Amino acid sequence: MGIDIKNLYVNYGGMDVIADLSLTIPEGCFFTLLGPSGCGKTTLLRTIAGFVQAAKGNIYFQSQDVTRLPPHRRNIGMVFQDYALFPDKTVAENVAYGLRARGESGEAMMKKVRHELEHVGLGHVMDRHPAALSGGQRQRVALARAMVIKPQVLLMDEPLSNLDAKLRIQIRETISDLQREANITTVFVTHDQEEALSMSDRIGVMNKGKVEQLGTPKEIYATPRTAYVADFVGAANRINVTVAEANADGTARIMLGDAAILARNTLTGTSRDGILIMRPEDLRLKPRTSAEMQGLMGRVVKRQYLGGKTSYKLALPDETLINVDSHGDDHDGFEIGTDVIATIDPSKAMVIAS
Amino acid sequence: MIRASDLRAPWLWLSLAALVALLVFIVYPVANILTASVSGDQNGWSRLLADPRGLTAILNALILASVVTCTCVLIGVPLAYVTARYRFFGKSIIALLPLITLVIPEVISAQTWLMALGNNGLITRFLRDIGIQLPTFYGWFGLVTVMTFVYYTYVYIGTVAAISGFDSTLEEAAQSLGTSPARSRMKVMLPVILPSILASALLVFTMVVGNFAISMILANRLPLLSVVTYQAAVSEGGAAPVMQSTFATVSVVMVMLILFLNRWIVSRGRFEIAQGRGARPVPITGWRGAVIGLAASFIVIVSLVPLAVIAVGAFTVSRGPVMQWGNWTLANMERVFINAPQPLVNSLIYAGAATLIGICFSALVSYLIIKKRNAVTPWLDYISSIPLALSGTVLGIGLVVSFNSGWLPLTGTATIMVLALLVRRLPFGMRSAQATLHNIPNSIEEASISLGSPPLRTFFKVVLPMMGPAIASAAILTWTTSVSELSASILVYSGGRETLTIQVFRLIGSNLMAYASAYGLVLIAVIIIPIIVATKVFKIDVFASK
Repeated sequence: MGIDIKNLYVNYGGMDVIADLSLTIPEGCFFTLLGPSGCGKTTLLRTIAGFVQAAKGNIYFQSQDVTRLPPHRRNIGMVFQDYALFPDKTVAENVAYGLRARGESGEAMMKKVRHELEHVGLGHVMDRHPAALSGGQRQRVALARAMVIKPQVLLMDEPLSNLDAKLRIQIRETISDLQREANITTVFVTHDQEEALSMSDRIGVMNKGKVEQLGTPKEIYATPRTAYVADFVGAANRINVTVAEANADGTARIMLGDAAILARNTLTGTSRDGILIMRPEDLRLKPRTSAEMQGLMGRVVKRQYLGGKTSYKLALPDETLINVDSHGDDHDGFEIGTDVIATIDPSKAMVIAS
Repeated sequence: MIRASDLRAPWLWLSLAALVALLVFIVYPVANILTASVSGDQNGWSRLLADPRGLTAILNALILASVVTCTCVLIGVPLAYVTARYRFFGKSIIALLPLITLVIPEVISAQTWLMALGNNGLITRFLRDIGIQLPTFYGWFGLVTVMTFVYYTYVYIGTVAAISGFDSTLEEAAQSLGTSPARSRMKVMLPVILPSILASALLVFTMVVGNFAISMILANRLPLLSVVTYQAAVSEGGAAPVMQSTFATVSVVMVMLILFLNRWIVSRGRFEIAQGRGARPVPITGWRGAVIGLAASFIVIVSLVPLAVIAVGAFTVSRGPVMQWGNWTLANMERVFINAPQPLVNSLIYAGAATLIGICFSALVSYLIIKKRNAVTPWLDYISSIPLALSGTVLGIGLVVSFNSGWLPLTGTATIMVLALLVRRLPFGMRSAQATLHNIPNSIEEASISLGSPPLRTFFKVVLPMMGPAIASAAILTWTTSVSELSASILVYSGGRETLTIQVFRLIGSNLMAYASAYGLVLIAVIIIPIIVATKVFKIDVFASK
């Protein structure tokens, strides 16, 4: 069951938190809303759930308009950041809750409950209370509780952010497996780019109540359309530049001091001013020789050895600082004070409108 | 802002219904009091200014409240400090303290102190026999003594909570920066716990101003605000309620001022304690331990005196006002259970009804206030806390003035008795219900709704069970305080509707101490048995919500 959002407006106290947002989430898609706190991603999720009323616009589940439908009639499964397990009920009763609300009871119902709990690896804790479980177990119970009712859509509000790093990766896999098996349309809210990139079929990067860019994880990472997206998904060096020469093959030639650099040109029309975006891991460092004039001239001012890689800070001739991550053999080989040149594949650097 | 979706859900309609109930039974009576002081043929305020006795009564109330507040702080704070910080012999009986204040009705405290130190008291007579003449217990001496021992526990409880919540690493930090342990305590701990001490001291102040039972029994000819208010209410009878309303207004204004001051202090003094690693009590032995243990035990034992005296008095032979100490009888108890059981029956019915209605109302209205906010709910919050500013006497006058006749005549009915208890104790239940609801995250409810459970079903299936333990302890607190209520019910009761407390009060007035003790002992049993059952059988932490 796909989700269609058409020209949605949500406001709190007269302020538009979400303005004119349209979005289509295809059936069976794992869709992630990614953004910093306050960008409207949780509000959008809660509007899809029905806990927040839309001021204008419509939400469709498949072809059914659910905009005015109260949340308990939307047949959704929801997983919360704080688990929201009923503390006075056992694990089994928590999972059975939604089935009971649908009029089910007896052994048939308990069979479903047991099956779902075994599915998340918790068949042995059915009679315990939530307080006796670990954080990871609690979130698994919450997941089983949401899935056992066979919801039309699964909504998850930062379900991993209360867990420690190791558990996060485990539960991430559990969620992905369950979602794929049930082929259920899922909306997942997070501020963690790694979560978004690793789990999603599609990502919507949100900013100030709007979807700033929509695409597959790879599209979002490799070809960010705005500086905001580039910055939020992965790290990026941003330098304000003026394009010296726009080539017919879609590249732009940019002069930084005496050195030149080639980058993909996304500027349109006659505009020449833009932002040059380069990811630290895409830059390559070389010792500087006088002949080399292709790349960024810089001097190493900081060096951080991180085991698998070394993080450098370079000062460009105009004292702008950029970050470079060096991998490979001898990645920590450049001393502080060394003059270096940083090169980048033209397909990995790009100029976008400022 | 009211939206179409709000009209469909039941919450707005429930809020409006609750608002109507609160307007009729709280706002209307209070408004009547405030207007009645000036609406008669004579202006109550000019009469008050021309009446030296009335003015003296107000002044005396202020003096008494100030003195008792000071003595309570002087006893309560040191006691709290040593119990929170030290372990010593006899400490476990101090844990009984909160129980004692709640369990012993004020009227009984006054009675038993009188039986011990009054003109014909046990101790008075003993000392007189060996040649020591005590000053008369009526007046300042008795008032200050009894009120101190009744109210110091409020300071004690407030201070203990503040000290145990205090992060002792702050103190260690101060010591590491070079201040001595004693100085560290003064410089670091005192400012943090001071707001709590002040808040509980102000609570004591308002309770002394509004106190009825002890004042009536011990003030004798000393004019006190609560006493003259009651006397004005009695003497004006069915006539225009001018003077009682004037005095009641003075009391309301005084208590309101204190409550605002209290709120200001609490809001200014709320320091965030980042991590509450409370200090572990350290053992204290040797002569210092003995002294502290003895002093603390002395206070507790003195607080327990009423229980002992009343237990003895209930089985002592008497002829009229004369107690024949040492001669035992069951006649007094026979009277309570067989000859005149009506007060016992009345108490059980009225307090039971008030508790049941009060708890249901508090649970629902608190839920509306915290979880289902709409245009009406802030008013529910404000109005339901008004009774905090009303002494029992004021509330009683308000109910009598409003429902004596007119469109809703309730005088003489059981309804008005239940109403008096219900309104007086409503803030108790509200406060405890709201505290628990704050601790139930919204996501729990949303989880239930997302699983297909409609809002009302969610309330009953998920929210109510989670509130359960808090509701049970609030119910027991409401029950105990309703059973011991005197000052409001004594104004609204009519013949045949006496409760146990009213009966005890009347018997003390007639100086029939043996009968009073018997009814008092039953009264304490009625209070204490539910507490024991709740804590022992149902494992409810009765004092958790306090």
